[in-house]
Amino acid sequence: MPELIRINELTKDYGKGRGIFGLDISIEQGEIYGLVGTNGSGKTTTMRHLMGFIRPDSGSCEIMGTDCRKHPEKIMKHLGYVPGQIDFPDVGSGTDFLKIQAQYLGIKDMAYTEQLIDRFKIDTSAPLRRMSKGMKQKMALVAAFMAKPDVLLLDEPSTGLDPVMRDSLTELILEQKQRGATVFMSSHIFKELQDTCDKVTFINEGRMIDTISRDLHKSDLPGLYRIGFADKAQYLDFKAKTTFETEACNDEYLHLTAVVPIQRTNELIAQLAGYDMRYVRCVPYTLEMYYKKYIENGGAA
Amino acid sequence: MFSLPLFKQSVRSNAVIWGSITGVMSLLCVQFAALEMTQSLLFVIFYGMMTTILPAIYVLVTANKLIAGQVDRGSMAYVLSTPIKRSAVTFTQIVFMTLSLILMFAVQTLMHLAVNAAKPITLATAMGDPKLPVQGDLTAEMILKVNLSALLVCIALGAVCLMFSGIFNSSKYSIGMSGVFTGVSVLSNMLAMFGRLGVSGLDKFKYLTICTFYDHQSVLSGNNDWAVKMIFPALIAVAAYMICGIVFKKKDLPL
Repeated sequence: MPELIRINELTKDYGKGRGIFGLDISIEQGEIYGLVGTNGSGKTTTMRHLMGFIRPDSGSCEIMGTDCRKHPEKIMKHLGYVPGQIDFPDVGSGTDFLKIQAQYLGIKDMAYTEQLIDRFKIDTSAPLRRMSKGMKQKMALVAAFMAKPDVLLLDEPSTGLDPVMRDSLTELILEQKQRGATVFMSSHIFKELQDTCDKVTFINEGRMIDTISRDLHKSDLPGLYRIGFADKAQYLDFKAKTTFETEACNDEYLHLTAVVPIQRTNELIAQLAGYDMRYVRCVPYTLEMYYKKYIENGGAA
Repeated sequence: MFSLPLFKQSVRSNAVIWGSITGVMSLLCVQFAALEMTQSLLFVIFYGMMTTILPAIYVLVTANKLIAGQVDRGSMAYVLSTPIKRSAVTFTQIVFMTLSLILMFAVQTLMHLAVNAAKPITLATAMGDPKLPVQGDLTAEMILKVNLSALLVCIALGAVCLMFSGIFNSSKYSIGMSGVFTGVSVLSNMLAMFGRLGVSGLDKFKYLTICTFYDHQSVLSGNNDWAVKMIFPALIAVAAYMICGIVFKKKDLPL
């Protein structure tokens, strides 16, 4: 697949350690790419560069081969954007806003827009100013998706959505991928990235920590096994004897989580052979755990 | 270069203030021109002060809403995430600002022309004293010239406010600087007028305000000073609009 978004050594220094430093990201066509980091880690700054709102101190970014700062209007024909901060133009109701937005984008057929409105269950006749945070977020999503753009930049798209709507959003994002669109989204909510993203880049304090692909099993991450024991003696015995690192243990409920490198799986089974267990469960390695590990390690990879 | 949807959006969000200021201005004009007791004050109070104060309020509020307010609130992101150049944004807002002022003055000029046709006043009354030894009535041509002169000065006021709106990312600075500028302009104009009416020392204030270029006395006395003075507000407006466009195109936007 050809490269669609290219972020090249992008640096923007706001002073006092804020900003982004030497970001290097390449996104292929049809990929869903996630950017994850804590508040203030530089996610929105990256989005703003891609939108051409700010000029990098050094480095550059391109979408479809066009420099984002030099000719943003060329890119915008193919792009949908959900800003991190949502505030609408002062134009009255939600319907009015979507109509004006459709005119900007040159959309004549509003069938898909209507479909999106139904899907997110929005009452667009309400005045924009009185809409709740979640309602505004849904309006912003409709505005970004209504033109069926080739590229979507979503800055924390699930902010303020309830869990059901969050699932709808995940579904919608996956549909975009099927359609062949490329999605670049940021979030601090790991679950939605996990459900959708092909690749995720972690950033902390404006610097890239690591990039992992969706298929976490392929990487050499250790497996996590939660083991519940039948009685306390067995639990304590295993806990004392095991050669594996334990991620978490609970003396009351008699279970612990062992960190097992892939190549030592047999060893774990062998060690457990003599014990009376209630269960052994493989705990899915969430991005959250992964991220935590990096933060614990002092943020350096 | 020009964006119709953005223009529509600007009309929608500024229609209320435009309507109320235009309404108040037209009403005052009709009142001053129609009532005998106020006719001698028409050019002192109405054309002397109201034609700058009222549009100044309008441009102060509107200029901020057109650019800086939208950047500050973040709603400019929706405009700029569409295939519209930043230069088209400023150009469209400049057109809106200029056209809305032209329309505002057109409405009030028409009202005045109508009243003047029905109830003409003498030139002496217009000059403030019915006993002055001048002949003739206030003509439609004079009314047009006075309003044209006021309009151009107001466009310059609006252009400077829009320039601040394009320069600053935050409403408080945009409103602050525009407020100081329009406030000083309008107040100095009033003080200078008192100077002209006989309060010594206050006439120096005319050097502090661009409203000095709006010369209704010259129109009434039939000379061409007013037309020559219009060059300056026109130049100020063009320069301010250009600065607005250039700065807004180049700066970083926190959207």
